[in-house]
Amino acid sequence: MARPPVGLYIHVPFCVSLCPYCDFVVVAGAAARGPANRLGALAAALRTELGLRGDALDATFGAPGWAGRPALDTVYLGGGTPTLLPAAEIGAILAVVRERFGVAADAEITIEANPGPDERGDASALAAAGINRISFGAQSLAAAELRRLGRRHRPADVANALAIARAGGIRSINLDLLYDIPNGSFATWTESLEAALALEPDHLSLYALTLDDPDAEGLTGPAGDHLPTTRGARQWRDRAIPEQDEDRAAAQYLHAVDRLAASGWHGYEISNWARPGHESRHNLAYWERRPVEAVGPGGHAFDGATRRWNAAHLGRYIEALSPSTGAEPHLPPGGSDTLDHGDAAAETAILGLRTDRGLPCSAAAEPPLDAAFDWGIDNRLLVVDERERIVLTTRGRLLSNELFRRLI
Amino acid sequence: MTNQIPQARLRNFSIIAHIDHGKSTLADRLLELTHTVEGRQMMSQVLDSMDLEREKGITIKARAVRLEYTANDGHVYGLNLIDTPGHVDFAYEVSHSLQACEGAILVVDATQGIEAQTLANVHLAMREGLTLIPVLNKIDLPSADPETIMDELENVLAIPREEVILASAKDGTGVPEILEAIVARIPAPKGDPRQPVRGLIFDSHYDAFKGVIVYVRLASGTLKANDEIKLMASGARAEPLELGVFRPQLVPVKQLAAGEVGYVATGLKSVRDAQVGDTLTTVAHPAAEPLPGYQPAKSLVFAGIYPVSGEDYPLLREALEKLHLNDASFTYEPESSVALGFGFRCGFLGLLHMEIVQERLEREFSLDLIASAPSVEYHVKLLRGGEVAIDNPSLLPNPSDIEVLEEPWVNLSVVTPSSYIGPLMELSTNRRGLFQNMEYLDPTRVVLHFEMPLAELIVDYFDQLKSRSQGYASMDYEEIGYRPANLAKVDILVNGEPVDALSLIVHRDNAQSSGRLLTAKLKELIPRQMFEIPIQAAIGSNVIARETVRAMRKNVLAKCYGGDITRKKKLLEKQKEGKQRMKRVGSVEIPQEAFLAMLRMGEG
Repeated sequence: MARPPVGLYIHVPFCVSLCPYCDFVVVAGAAARGPANRLGALAAALRTELGLRGDALDATFGAPGWAGRPALDTVYLGGGTPTLLPAAEIGAILAVVRERFGVAADAEITIEANPGPDERGDASALAAAGINRISFGAQSLAAAELRRLGRRHRPADVANALAIARAGGIRSINLDLLYDIPNGSFATWTESLEAALALEPDHLSLYALTLDDPDAEGLTGPAGDHLPTTRGARQWRDRAIPEQDEDRAAAQYLHAVDRLAASGWHGYEISNWARPGHESRHNLAYWERRPVEAVGPGGHAFDGATRRWNAAHLGRYIEALSPSTGAEPHLPPGGSDTLDHGDAAAETAILGLRTDRGLPCSAAAEPPLDAAFDWGIDNRLLVVDERERIVLTTRGRLLSNELFRRLI
Repeated sequence: MTNQIPQARLRNFSIIAHIDHGKSTLADRLLELTHTVEGRQMMSQVLDSMDLEREKGITIKARAVRLEYTANDGHVYGLNLIDTPGHVDFAYEVSHSLQACEGAILVVDATQGIEAQTLANVHLAMREGLTLIPVLNKIDLPSADPETIMDELENVLAIPREEVILASAKDGTGVPEILEAIVARIPAPKGDPRQPVRGLIFDSHYDAFKGVIVYVRLASGTLKANDEIKLMASGARAEPLELGVFRPQLVPVKQLAAGEVGYVATGLKSVRDAQVGDTLTTVAHPAAEPLPGYQPAKSLVFAGIYPVSGEDYPLLREALEKLHLNDASFTYEPESSVALGFGFRCGFLGLLHMEIVQERLEREFSLDLIASAPSVEYHVKLLRGGEVAIDNPSLLPNPSDIEVLEEPWVNLSVVTPSSYIGPLMELSTNRRGLFQNMEYLDPTRVVLHFEMPLAELIVDYFDQLKSRSQGYASMDYEEIGYRPANLAKVDILVNGEPVDALSLIVHRDNAQSSGRLLTAKLKELIPRQMFEIPIQAAIGSNVIARETVRAMRKNVLAKCYGGDITRKKKLLEKQKEGKQRMKRVGSVEIPQEAFLAMLRMGEG
């Protein structure tokens, strides 16, 4: 049964430059900057899509404000680098969101940003437009690692960005950091983590650098939600993969788990830690399988029954919503996948286990997943905690795929 | 149109040559010149009718064709060309083809000279007492050196240069002379058409409509279309559906008489009932004695053949049965392996034969196969008495139960330009070869003779020979019997469990280095798992090499947000499918690719 969204994701695909390890839907170059940029065209298309999606929700659940149509609890502008859009464009988009979806008074409204001075946006203007959370793609606080990753910013930019955001009135600030960086070391990781903590962010996302191949996964076709990997990025990954190290990565992760727990951080998901009260409501919505609407190229929505996505291609996206022929705007190309009972149960188990809430013990006793849960307990990946809930151990977090594939 | 030709005007002959010396091209030219096949129907290398034969440029199965040739004397002659396989593995078939002939055209490449199989084939032909017509082929090529090669023929094979015909099968030079020489030099077949029928089966194939079709050379008697026949070795009886000759397609005739070459469509369901070398006679007037020389084809090389997907096992069984109808020279019986599942232990005439059978199974039956490392057959005398033959290393008894272990040896001849003598001597002695002697073919080329264990030959000797001689050396071998050997079985244990498909039998001196190599390679190939996995090489209970695959530390999806869930679920599904294809050795999951890579090691 479809349910109305509690969250909204808005994908803004522009970046100043492409990072070779990144699989998100991103365009750089002339479309992102300069006289021929498509920022305005995208912003207009996003507003149009918000209108069309809003129409469909109105028809199913009633207009915002009706009993069956709660106001949004979270809005998330992700990318790409959505802060490349002028704050005024962001304000205009959020105005449409408020009008067509309704936004709760205490909603979390996040924007992703890069720390570089020319890409982080104007924090006070963003705050004025309604943004109250910024997630910075810091990735590392070691200069050499940032260069290795092809990042444009330097460590000092991260500190500046954070200070400016605070001064601008942003309530909650996240830093993304990467571990298992090619040719990285345990020492650079602990230094980066300490440097990040010294900046006193509210939230930390610590991601194992994962070098995948979306082309090989069949995700880059015409209706695909990913763009083809460039040749340069492919070569970079081929060189980088042998310079990653499973044992080093595990040690880096374990260090972070201990270090952050010792300082009172709440590790509430495999890759996410928050100071209490700063857990990301948007991301929790994903893990709790609450409905989230999505707009923008490559955006993924979930209505409680069906996962739907827009195709990744920016040009086709804009053409659908702002046809150059003058025809009526229509929804962009994409695809969808309606989950059956088994898919939904597996998703519930996997997403639930990713968080520290885990699952009720009763869930682990039901066939057909019970055998996998038993295996997880036997192999010390799972434990039952004092709340009578089944959760991943730290070892289990690191080896979670071994369990998850048994749950599928 | 097929005429009855009197025995005096029949000629039965083969063409013998080293691989690539132009045998098939010459055969094509003979067919063309005698209008057996018209130009417009001519497909290059008509006799090599299997795709695989055309691709590899070799003749696998003997083929026969009847040419009708009007000689310079004005008479029409019936020339039966019996093609022979050109590879060492098929020496057994060659010898039967030659038994059906009175003469042979010896083709030698004028740019290459005598090669190992030239020697082997000439010796076979001489043993059968055949008249040889020496032909130097490819004399149109600028690099042809007929004078030197005629010296070789004279010195090494005692063939007078006056007898040699210079030819180019490609442009037709010398081919009319060859036809005249066949008529003039090769004797007509003998044999009394009124005696009981005795026909030598020199080839056979299975036809879905006519059953087993045997290719026969009648040594005596007259076989009529309605005669009930009997195979003297197998005892099988049949009422033939048809008699005929090869033009080269099968053309029915009413009878075949002594000296003639033709086919009999027996209606039999399996080539095992009518094997090459058997003697065909009639039920009504059976011959008292079969023709000499029948022995079943002997397997020298053995390997397990397994389907890559276990569910293809029934298809593999069916494919082997069907292929065996056509090629009785390989053997197969079911076996199972911990590592590879259910499959068949197969015996082959040699390595090329193994490769051909595997390729035919894969191509003609669309199977994806994995073959275990090839092995020879070992003879084991047990301490408690008795003797067993072992063709699968994993089945070798414990060292403590063995009194004597014997392995097959071969006489190996290597023909090479003298500049490669050093590297080839080194290669051969490293393979436990015992150097016997060296003969000069001419001032720049030699024949090296070795005795060598067959097991050393079948690994990758031929590839090494070619690579160390830049492709110039050639080889031939024949089995010379069993000799005791200081061999050890090295088992590979993963987490304490032996992996049967990886057991190997090696000379004791090489056991440790082989064990180290295998364990190191396997360590690279086994993915890390939830626990630490020791990999050991052992002789009996004595561990000679050890590596460790460390326990898995991390397999985690870092990000799992809106779009990631669907994607990651697909990735996990793929991982799961990958796991399901894995083979389990005890509690360890080993990817099929690891076995493939291990088994291919020897080929590199």
